[in-house]
Amino acid sequence: MRHLEDLLSALLDGELASDDRTDVAAHLRACDGCRLELADLAVARTALRSLPLLELPAALVVSRDDAVVVPLRRRPSVWAASAAAAMVLVGLTATGGEPAPAADIDTLAEQHTARVVVDPGFATIRMTVEE
Amino acid sequence: MPEDGRVPTWEEVARRYGRTIYNFAYRLTGNAHDAHDLTQEVLLRVRRGLEQYTPGSFEGWLWRITRNAFLDDVRRQKRRPTVSLPEGDHVDAGAAPPPDEVLATVRLGEDVQAALLELPYDFREAVVMCDIVGLSYDEIAEAVGVPVGTVRSRIHRGRKMLRERLS
Repeated sequence: MRHLEDLLSALLDGELASDDRTDVAAHLRACDGCRLELADLAVARTALRSLPLLELPAALVVSRDDAVVVPLRRRPSVWAASAAAAMVLVGLTATGGEPAPAADIDTLAEQHTARVVVDPGFATIRMTVEE
Repeated sequence: MPEDGRVPTWEEVARRYGRTIYNFAYRLTGNAHDAHDLTQEVLLRVRRGLEQYTPGSFEGWLWRITRNAFLDDVRRQKRRPTVSLPEGDHVDAGAAPPPDEVLATVRLGEDVQAALLELPYDFREAVVMCDIVGLSYDEIAEAVGVPVGTVRSRIHRGRKMLRERLS
């Protein structure tokens, strides 16, 4: 009799079709080895799912009501920005010769006006978005 | 994403998925610094890519971008050795000492993270997408670009390896 192998993980994940579930249940009733393996798999699965969900670092938090941080690569020497304008274009030499990305505020929310503060030390642009 | 079927804004994506992307990145890389950089890179790519995105499987699209960003980084840097930092990275240093059961949980978490980093990439990615991100097998298959049967096999083998390392 063929053992269940990866059908056991699929069973734990609710990824089996109903016909397969019936067959798997029948096999499990008869096979100690597959029952033990199912228990082992459940331990690993539970261990992974018990890992704490980490908080997003404050520098990456995006909120309409608060500050918006536009992520950029940490390449502060190659970009230039105008903090006075309502739109900021950031040119940077991306690794691998990719075109320089433009960070313009209108893609964030057209109806918003934005006050922009450039923080070159962290190579991100912090914008306070006002409703 | 939005229930009306429109293309989400970058802001919506960042707010809704930022933390999940960060957790995916942390579990793949094992440290907060690389996870931070990778999350930034993914959000930047999402921002650029949304213009070309046509409504479809948003999860598949997003996680394909995320894994490609990680793999590009691996290729570019020939990734420095992954060292698992304690999750104390994220704990307020001034906080009161945690009770024993919390310490035990943290230690277990560190063991699981260390075991995870020992898995070959394909298996690590599969179990993280399934058990950390919570994607279905179909969504993982779309993000990774392999058949669902391959996803099932990778998740299974990844868990088996993890179980052996946790013994």
